[in-house]
Amino acid sequence: MLARARGTTVTWALWRGDPSINRYVDDWVAPRLRQGFGITLNAIPGQGAELVNALVVERDAHRATGTVDLVWINGETFFNLRREGLLYGPWSGRLPNAANVDSASPIISRDFEQIPEGYESPWGTVQFALIYDSARTPHPPETYEALRAWIHTHPGRFTYDQQFTGLTFLKGLMYAQGGGVERFQGGFDSLRYAEARDRTFAWLANATPSLWRGGATYPQDVAQLDRLFANGEVDFAMSNNQNDVVTKTKRGVFPASARAYVLRDGTIANTHFVAIPFNASSPAGAMVVANFLLSPEAQAEKAKPDIWGDGSVLKGDTVARRYAVPEVAPEYSIRLQDDWRARIRR
Amino acid sequence: MRLAALVAAPVLIGVLYAVLGALGLVGLDAHGYTTEHVTRILGAGSTWRGIGWSLATATVATAAATITGGAVAIAFRGTRLGDRVARALVAVPLPMPHIVAATLSLVVLAQSGLIARLLYALGAIHSAAQMPPLILDGLGIGYMATMAWKEVPFLSVVAISVLATRGPRLEEVARTLGATPRATLWRVTVPVLWRGLAPAAIAVAIVIAGSFEGAYLLAPSNPLALPLLTYERYRTIDAARRADAYVLVLMGLMLAVIAVVALEWVRARWDAE
Repeated sequence: MLARARGTTVTWALWRGDPSINRYVDDWVAPRLRQGFGITLNAIPGQGAELVNALVVERDAHRATGTVDLVWINGETFFNLRREGLLYGPWSGRLPNAANVDSASPIISRDFEQIPEGYESPWGTVQFALIYDSARTPHPPETYEALRAWIHTHPGRFTYDQQFTGLTFLKGLMYAQGGGVERFQGGFDSLRYAEARDRTFAWLANATPSLWRGGATYPQDVAQLDRLFANGEVDFAMSNNQNDVVTKTKRGVFPASARAYVLRDGTIANTHFVAIPFNASSPAGAMVVANFLLSPEAQAEKAKPDIWGDGSVLKGDTVARRYAVPEVAPEYSIRLQDDWRARIRR
Repeated sequence: MRLAALVAAPVLIGVLYAVLGALGLVGLDAHGYTTEHVTRILGAGSTWRGIGWSLATATVATAAATITGGAVAIAFRGTRLGDRVARALVAVPLPMPHIVAATLSLVVLAQSGLIARLLYALGAIHSAAQMPPLILDGLGIGYMATMAWKEVPFLSVVAISVLATRGPRLEEVARTLGATPRATLWRVTVPVLWRGLAPAAIAVAIVIAGSFEGAYLLAPSNPLALPLLTYERYRTIDAARRADAYVLVLMGLMLAVIAVVALEWVRARWDAE
């Protein structure tokens, strides 16, 4: 495997929106792959829906060798890639470093309740957190109910974005309103969903008039929400990675007094993975990269808050997360996003 | 002709792919002919509100940019140094990408932007929320202002060349026949300008209605502008419904075609006059 990988170029499609992550990949991972394994890493932007769409076009065009060897994905993308048969595998169980993965953790061994079955290899784990400015808001609300009360006493000072991060906030809210994450586990149940959605939307209907701009509009993405928070237009930002606040504070994006915290009702923790497309030109090289990403050094470097602050997936490293709840079947995300767009945003 | 075919080919291939995708024949989760995507998009209120919003804002922004561009051409058509400097200054935003223009607007017009900070320093407002929302607002005021500002240079360049090539002779004829300067302006210069500018204005309106970056940074989430709606459908979590986006692409294209056909019809009538 190592011999076949040597001299190859591995093209890795990943989200390139965060300078800290880019620096880790370009300045720490890439040189070590070149020195240690003779692999040239070519990091290109590409994530989620765009990846799936691009691979479908390659499949329809009958491209035997694709343009990408490794992809960075989460559960929703994995769901779509698997359903469309766009992944190479199984392979991840054969990686030497896979033995060190904390597979006892339900947050790592399952991806949105799906069993990876060797078609993806864990890379890191994060937990959703709210971000506030301790100078502006010394006592942030600690539960969803307290948050709703806070929103009413501070009209126009809270909102959430329309994309992935905002959806994670809404899913956490849905778990809390629906009686806890346990009620959503074990596959999609449309009746249970409808009941929880109605309670979630009742919470939103009550809170929305007091949101930023009265809920008439929402930030396009989490970057816009960050900007509103940094400029003092709202009092909360949010992130899928609880350590994001440290890196953003260091970079001066957020004030030094910005802090992250999780609500006591529980916020979603999940694992992100790497996978190999069905038409990768260098699966061997991609596997060597995935194995290197699981090495104790690579995981430890990535976990440093001033580097990236992405949680390790290795045994013994996974810190006990407070109030962490896992992801549930992807259909819950799909339906909640649709219904939110149709009924709340309109 | 061969060159024209070469230019059109990628678009035609794209249209063909979009048609096949919209009918479930190619692309993600394509399981054979279906009208499901078309029905869903045509039946969604968000589609019509998005199209309405995009058309309305593009029309207002284009009208503002056309009037300004025409006025600039008339005011600074001379050969004096001042006229030349003014014409050069108006063209400054021309090479600026839309995304830079939109980011600049964000910095200036947001509720915590430069104007808001100035008003705060002057004591006119006491918090960001008191600044009227010009960005991500339902009316799209900041969005239209940005798009208009971005398109003024192009339209004034076109207007200046229209006036230079078609203006002087007709104006001279009018004056020889005894028209006052005021009558010459309104009965000759403005109509000549308008007829020459119309194709460029239509092109600008199509570009604005379809432009993504400006809408992404400045337009509201309700209604969602047509390019944003298309993008959202293309990347919705449920891959089985991403083909909805093809229907929206085709609708946008159809609107552009209607605009061009309408322009040709009007021009044919002008020529017949």
